[in-house]
Amino acid sequence: MQRMFLRRAGLALLLMLAATALTFALVSAAPGNVAALIAERAAGAGADGEMIARIANDLGLNDPLPVRYLRWLGNAVTGDFGVSLRTGKPMSEEFATRLPKTLVLLAGGGVLALVLSLVMGLAGAVSNGGWLDRVLHGVALIGASTPNFFVAAMLVIVFSVMLGWVPTFGVSGFTSWLLPWITIALFPGSVLARVVRVNLQEAMSRPFATTGFAKGLTRRAVLLREALPNILIPYMTTFGAQFTLMMIGAIVVERVFGLNGIGAFFIEAIRFRDFIGMQAVLMLFVVFFVSFNLIVDIAAMMADPRLRRPRRA
Amino acid sequence: MKNWPWLILTPAIIFVLIGLFAPFLMTHEPTVQDYKAILAPSSWSNWLGTDYLGRDMYSRIIGGARTSLVAMVFVLLAALIIGVMIGSFAGYVGGRTELVLISIIDIALALPSLIIALALIGVFSGASWSWMSDYWKMIIALTLAWWANYARMSRAVVVAELQQPYIEAARVMGASHMWIFTRHILPHVLGLVVVYASADAGALVLAIATLSFLGLGVAPPTPEWGQMLVDGMSYIEEYPSLVIIPGLALTAVVVSFNLLGEAFALQKVPKAVRGGLLRRKKAARAVEETTRAATEAKV
Repeated sequence: MQRMFLRRAGLALLLMLAATALTFALVSAAPGNVAALIAERAAGAGADGEMIARIANDLGLNDPLPVRYLRWLGNAVTGDFGVSLRTGKPMSEEFATRLPKTLVLLAGGGVLALVLSLVMGLAGAVSNGGWLDRVLHGVALIGASTPNFFVAAMLVIVFSVMLGWVPTFGVSGFTSWLLPWITIALFPGSVLARVVRVNLQEAMSRPFATTGFAKGLTRRAVLLREALPNILIPYMTTFGAQFTLMMIGAIVVERVFGLNGIGAFFIEAIRFRDFIGMQAVLMLFVVFFVSFNLIVDIAAMMADPRLRRPRRA
Repeated sequence: MKNWPWLILTPAIIFVLIGLFAPFLMTHEPTVQDYKAILAPSSWSNWLGTDYLGRDMYSRIIGGARTSLVAMVFVLLAALIIGVMIGSFAGYVGGRTELVLISIIDIALALPSLIIALALIGVFSGASWSWMSDYWKMIIALTLAWWANYARMSRAVVVAELQQPYIEAARVMGASHMWIFTRHILPHVLGLVVVYASADAGALVLAIATLSFLGLGVAPPTPEWGQMLVDGMSYIEEYPSLVIIPGLALTAVVVSFNLLGEAFALQKVPKAVRGGLLRRKKAARAVEETTRAATEAKV
């Protein structure tokens, strides 16, 4: 068991290294870029080739790629991610001010998705084929198909423009978080509601459910006591995947609602060709996704002993 | 496929037809600006009204269908071909080559496809890529971000199929590797992957719209739904229809492809990897992996 965990953690670490190396190689594929951008920033249009070459030399941009990667990695491990070309501030500072916003967004969205999916899935299972079940199926399908920026726009139209309940833009107190949370929770909530519904249905056709009925339990009791615990593992793995995918929703939502989080910064960095900022955010993403997947894997292994035997790659 | 709900294909087919015959369906040139009819309500000449530059909304929606369709077909085909080639090669050859290729696939899957596409678009924005139009940058970035799912799936099918006794029989018969692969294995791989791709189309349309919404996809004069939506956001208080119309078009297309995906998912385990006498466990594990890949990739 412990060896299995260590193996998984080691593989995850390797994956992080490989993925950051790959993004590093990609982002710095054009070596002149960063130096040219810095020169442009410093001297305006008057930046000449000599100046660019000098900056490139000073920053060690002419060194071979592996050397540059290792140097970057060494700095990153100590918390130095370079200075953003977009804002001129160190990336660690950017992270410190922006990360909390993104985390609040993701956490709120995650909780909302959890509640939404359980309520929808269970209500559907209780109704089982009734009108409520069919309506919820439709709602989940539409929820899983509507682009999150359209959801955001509709929420703004209804709650800000028409009803005037919440601000359209920016962060000011709890209410301003509501629309962003709902926006990013709708997609994972809908997907997860289907997972709950389908797995409950499957569990209800298993022998233990029949036994429950034979014991004289009501349908609701069988559903909640016998079937519900069985959806834990598929629910957990899908929730993990959906939670990480909410990061994409966060990128969109931060732009729509003007939240200055990591996602908004990432888009800014791409549009501004801030390769240093891009690299730092991508590293953050790699660490976030890989470690979250690892946590989900380990949680699933703890919940289900069958997953503990080693799998062929 | 006898009892399969063929009607579910209808909305997707309508979308494809609209995209194909867009030039005949448009009443106006979608990029022509008419300053005498800015933000006009719907009328006989402008069925869905006009936008803030006086462009006909109806024609822009139709044109947007074509933009999405073309990009989607290119990305889907390219990702499918690359993915199937790499994945089946890894699965068929096995050994160390397989390990290396799988590691590459795993690295490519470490980040969600859309984030990879975003990063690649950022890389392509460098000066050395300026010869490429934004539209093609987006298509190439999406392709490079999308192939790994197909590679993983193809490999799982090939590994499962290689366990089948008829492969051994073919080998004993003296068939070459090329023969065995093209005649016996490839049809199974394509059977699964093509079905999956048709359901994946919705996710891709969504990705294209999202990139354009973020200002990193299709560049402004070309009609595109995500970009129409972001343009409309500035007028959301007085003219919400500028946001609602493209949003509804986009949702309708994604819903229709997702319906297709759900209908396919009900088929559950693909025929390609059913049964198997030799080393059942291994085959069973491959089935598990294929379905898992399919469900994971779906999101």
